[in-house]
Amino acid sequence: MLDAYRPPSGAYDEMLGPDRAPRRHWQSVLGSLESLGTSELERRRAETDRLLADDGVTYHRFAESDVGGLSEIVTIDTAERRRAAGDDRWRLDPVPLVLESTEWRHIEEGLIQRAELLDAVLTDLYGARQLVHRRVVPPELVFGHPGYLRPAHGVRLVGPHQLFTLAVDLARNPDGEWHVLADRTQAPSGAGYALENRTVTSRVFPSLYRDAQVHRLAPFFRTLRSSLQEVAPTGADDPRIVLLTPGPHSETAFEHGLLASTLGYPLVVGSDLVVRDGRVWLRALGRLEPVDVILRRLDAGWSDPLELRPDSELGVPGLVEACRQGRVSVVNTLGSGVLENPALMAFLPRLATTLLGEQLRLACVPTWWCGEPESLAHVLANLDRLVLKPIARPVGPGAVMGSGLSAAQLDDLRRRVTARPHEWVGQAELSLPCVPALTDEGLSPRRMVLRSFLVSRRGSYVAMTGGLARVADGPEAGRIIANQSGAWSKDTWILSSEPEVSTGFWLEEGPPLVGAAPEQSVSARAGENLFWLSRYAERAEDAVRLLRVVHDRRNEFQHAANPAGTACLTTLYQALTHVTTTYPGFVGGDIEHPTQELSSLVFDAYRPGSVAYAVHAVMASARTVRDQLSLDTWSVLAGLERDLAEGDRGGDRTAVVVPTLTAVLQRLLALAGLEAESLVRDAGWRFQDAGRRVERSIHLASLLRVTLTIERDTATDSLLLESVLTAAESIITYRRRYRSKARVATVLDLLLLDATNPRSIAYQLQRLTEAAASFPSSAVFGRLDEVQRLVLETSTALRVVDTATLAETAADGTRPALDDFLWHLVDRLMAIADAIDRLHFTHQLPQRKLA
Amino acid sequence: MTRYVVTHRTEYGYDDPVTASYGLAVLLPRQVPGRQRVDAQVVIDPAPVDQREHTDVYGNRALYFSVLRTHDRLVVTATSRVEVEPTSLVLDGPAWEDVRDALRTSLEPDVVDAVEFVLPSPLVAVSAAVAGYAAPSFPVGRPVVAGAIDLMHRINAEFHYEPGTTSVSTGLDEVLDLRSGVCQDFAHLFVGCVRSLGLAARYVSGYLETQPPPGQTKLQGADASHAWAGVLVPGHGWVDLDPTNDLVVDDRFVVTGWGRDYYDVTPLKGVIFTESTKSTLDVAVDVVRQ
Repeated sequence: MLDAYRPPSGAYDEMLGPDRAPRRHWQSVLGSLESLGTSELERRRAETDRLLADDGVTYHRFAESDVGGLSEIVTIDTAERRRAAGDDRWRLDPVPLVLESTEWRHIEEGLIQRAELLDAVLTDLYGARQLVHRRVVPPELVFGHPGYLRPAHGVRLVGPHQLFTLAVDLARNPDGEWHVLADRTQAPSGAGYALENRTVTSRVFPSLYRDAQVHRLAPFFRTLRSSLQEVAPTGADDPRIVLLTPGPHSETAFEHGLLASTLGYPLVVGSDLVVRDGRVWLRALGRLEPVDVILRRLDAGWSDPLELRPDSELGVPGLVEACRQGRVSVVNTLGSGVLENPALMAFLPRLATTLLGEQLRLACVPTWWCGEPESLAHVLANLDRLVLKPIARPVGPGAVMGSGLSAAQLDDLRRRVTARPHEWVGQAELSLPCVPALTDEGLSPRRMVLRSFLVSRRGSYVAMTGGLARVADGPEAGRIIANQSGAWSKDTWILSSEPEVSTGFWLEEGPPLVGAAPEQSVSARAGENLFWLSRYAERAEDAVRLLRVVHDRRNEFQHAANPAGTACLTTLYQALTHVTTTYPGFVGGDIEHPTQELSSLVFDAYRPGSVAYAVHAVMASARTVRDQLSLDTWSVLAGLERDLAEGDRGGDRTAVVVPTLTAVLQRLLALAGLEAESLVRDAGWRFQDAGRRVERSIHLASLLRVTLTIERDTATDSLLLESVLTAAESIITYRRRYRSKARVATVLDLLLLDATNPRSIAYQLQRLTEAAASFPSSAVFGRLDEVQRLVLETSTALRVVDTATLAETAADGTRPALDDFLWHLVDRLMAIADAIDRLHFTHQLPQRKLA
Repeated sequence: MTRYVVTHRTEYGYDDPVTASYGLAVLLPRQVPGRQRVDAQVVIDPAPVDQREHTDVYGNRALYFSVLRTHDRLVVTATSRVEVEPTSLVLDGPAWEDVRDALRTSLEPDVVDAVEFVLPSPLVAVSAAVAGYAAPSFPVGRPVVAGAIDLMHRINAEFHYEPGTTSVSTGLDEVLDLRSGVCQDFAHLFVGCVRSLGLAARYVSGYLETQPPPGQTKLQGADASHAWAGVLVPGHGWVDLDPTNDLVVDDRFVVTGWGRDYYDVTPLKGVIFTESTKSTLDVAVDVVRQ
C-alpha cells in the first residue's frame, strides 16, 4: 500500500519519516488500513459519503465572492471557485490525521499562550489602548482595519477574558516545526464540522477508532457550554443562550444547526430577536423571552443595522446598545475581528514579551507588515517569493502567491502595495506538510493545514483535543487550501497515552438544577417553519397518493375499450390538475397524451404543485429549523432529494415515475412517523401537527369536490369512489365496513364525519381543536381567539351536516348541496390556516433607513 | 463668553404606519473643556421605550432611543443652553512636515490617537486629484496652520456654495469637478486634502448663530446643522477652520461633536420597520444669542 505513496521532496510527511518508515504513532492506524485492503477501503470511502449525505452535511460554496470562512489561503483562481460552486457536499476523507499526545501537549501550550496573548491585545485595544499609544501595535493596524468597530468601545464582557473563542490554523514547516498561519477571532467556524467528522470517521472505522485510544471531543463542547453560562451578564443565574446565525444560506449553516442542537440552544436569526427595555428578547411563540448570551456566528459588522452596517438585514437593531448596557453578552464580542489582521503576526513575538514576559511558544509564519519602511523594502525585493495578503479579509481576490505571477502581474502588485503599504503584509510561503488521503489510487500524499479551537474557561483557555484538518483537493494543489475552493477535511486523532474514560456529553460539574422548568424557547419563526414543513410534507404525500391512483387506473384502462374506465380516468386527470392547482394541465390541455404532464407533476422542482416542488419546500423549511430536527430526519430528507434527483438524472424519466412515487411515499411516511413518534409535544410540535391537519383536510375536501359533485353512470361512479377512497387511504376500512358497492353517502360518512378514521376531515378538525387550545393565546379567559372560533365553527358545521342530503342529486345530475358544502368547507379551512399565520407568527414589516 | 440657546427639531412623517423606530442621535453639543459648557436635553415624540445617552469613542454625546409602538410621525427635539469661550490661534506652529513625522513617530497619546484621522474614512477617500488640489497650500517648510488657512481660503474662493448639487454620498472627486457643494462637502474636501499630506484632520459638526447681532452678516449654513473641519497641531491641539465661511472657528460656533467624517457624527440616523416608501422630513434649527 505504501509503494505508491510518494510525498513530494522537501515536504514534511505526517505519516512517513525521511527514511520512508512509518512514524511510530502511525503504525497501528497504518497497519489496520493495510489489513483492510484496497477494495475494503474503497467501500469505506463510499460509506463516508453516504453517512455525510444522510446527515445532510453541507458547506455552501460561492461562485464569486469569498467571505473567508474556512479558507486559509484564498485562491485567486476564480475559475476554480466557479467549478466548485454549486457542489455543497462537505468533503471528508476518512483517514484521520494522527498526532501523539506528547507533541500535542506542546502545541496545546502554545495555543493557550496565544489565546491569552490575543485576549490581552483585544482587551487593550477596546480599553486603555496602551499598546497603540506605545506603538507596540502600530496605530494603523487598528484604526485601518475593518474589524475594528468603534461602536464596540464601551462594551465589556464580564469575567477575565474579552476573547471568548479562537481558531488557529497551523502547519508544519519542512523541518517539522509547527507554525501559525492565521488566527480566526471574528466568529470562528469549524468546531461543529470537526465533531461531525469524528462522528462519521468513528462509524466508518469503528474498531480502528476503538483500539487507537483517541482523545474525545465531548469535553471541549462541555467546556463551551459551561463557559457560555459563565459569560452571562451578572444576575442571570439560569442564563438563556441562543445561537445567532446569518441563516440557511450561510456557508457554514450546517454547522450552526449542528452546534445549536448539540449544545441545546435555539438557533435564531436576527429577526427572531428584539431589543426592548435595554435588553434582548427572543420572539418566542406567543411571548417575548429574555436572552442573556448570544453565541454569534454572524459577522459583527452585520449584527446591528443601527450602529454597524446600515444595509444589514441580518442583524438586530439596538444590539450594540444592549451590549453596552451589559444586559446581554455577545460572544465573540463585537469587534473581535480586529485580531484577524495578519499584520499582527509580525508584532506578536514582541507583544508576548511585553504583555506576558514570555517567548512565543508557537512561531508565526514569517510576516512583514508593509507599513514599516524596512519591511516594505524587504517585501518589494522578495515579491516573487512571498504570499501577499491584504490586512483585511476581502470580498474578492485575497492572498496572492508572488511565485505564481508573471512579470507584468508582479509590477501591478508592486504598484498596489506601494500605493497603500499599510494595507498589505508579505508572508513567507510555507511548504505545507503532507498527510495520506484515500484517493482513486489508494493512499496518496496531500498537503494539509490543521485548524484548532480554543474556548475561554475560568481565567485560562481550553483547546479541543483534536481539530479540523483540511486537505488539498489534488496532488498538485498544495499552497492553496480553502474549503471555498473544494478542499477536503479530515478528523484529527490525538492519541492518548492511556485509555480515556468516556464521559457523556452532558456531564457537568456543580449542583444539579432543582425544579427548573424545561425551556420552551421555540421562536415564532421556527414555529412558522415547522407549520410549513409539515404542510408541504403532507402536500407532497397527498400528491403522491393521488398520482399513484392515477397511474394504476391508467395501467388498467388506457388501452382498454372501457367507457367507464376512460371516464373515470379523465375525471382523475382533471382532479389532479385541480387539487394541485397546476393549471392548465389536464383541464385545459392534452388528455390523450398524459405521460409528460404526469412526470412533470413528479419531477419538475420549479413547478408549484409538483411533488419535487413540495419536497424542496420541505427542505427549505427544514434547513431553517435544523436545531429542532433529529439526525434521522436528515437521513429521510436526504433520501427524498436523492430519489427525486435519481429519477431526474437524464434518460427517460417517465419510465421511473412509478418506482419513484413508491420510494418517495415510503420516505414521506417515515417523516410522518418521526413527527408522530419522535417529537416532544411542545409548542413547536403543535404547529407542526396543525400544519399537517389543515393541509390534509384542505386536500381531501378539494378532492371530493372535484370528483363527487357530479353524478355519472353507476360503473364510472363506482370506479371513481374506489379511486378516491384509495387516494384517501381509506379503501380497506370502507370495504370492511360497507361490503355492498360504493355509495356517495357512505363514502362521505367515512371521509368527512368518522372521527375514528385518521384520514377523515372530522379527525383533522378534532386534532386542530386540540392544537388551537394549546397555542399560546392572548385572548381574555373564557373567550375564543380567532383560530379557536374558526375551528369550532367549522367542526360544528361538519358535525351537523347530513350526508344523505349532501349526496342527493339534482335533475341536471349535479349534487348542489355537496358542492356548496365542500366549497364552504375549503374556504373555512383556508381561513383557519390564515388565522394561525396571522395570530401566531411574526410578520415584521420591511426594514428601512430612517429618512 | 457667549451664551446661546440651540433648538434643533427634526420631524419625520410617513404615508404608512411605522411599527418600530430605532434611532441614534449625535445632536447634543458636547462639553469641550476650556471652550464650551452645555446643558441640554432631548424630547422624542411618541415617547420612546428606551432612551439612553452614552459617550462615543470620540467623546461625543450619543443618544440611543427606540419607539416600539405604531406611529406615522416621529419628532426629535434637542434643546441646549451653551456657553462658548473665545479661542486663540497659533500661526507660527511647527512646519507641516514636522507634524507629519510626529504622527509617524510620536509617543504622545493624543498624537498617536490622531493617526486615526490620517487614514481614509468611510466618506473621505484620498485620491490623486485630492492630493493634487492640496499640494499648492503646503510648500516646503510652511507652518501647518498657515497651510491649512491657505487651503481654507482657496476652497472658499474656488467653490460655490450651492445646496442641492450634492448629497451625503457625493465623493470628493466629484465635488472637485463640480466646484460646488455645501458645508459638508467643503469640510470633507478640506479633511481629504489635509490627510493627503499625511496630516491628521477631523470633521466637526455643530451650529452657527441664526441671526447675527445688528451690523453683522448672516453666515452660510446658519439655518441647519453646520459642519467644518480641524487640523491637528501637536502640542497645541486641534485648530478648527470653516472653509464654507472662510473663518477660523471662534465663539460664533457651537460644537456638537467630531469624528473622521460625517458618518461618525450623523446628527440623526436610524432603522424603521414599515411598508411606507414616502416620507417627509422637516428640520428646524434655531441658534439664539442670550
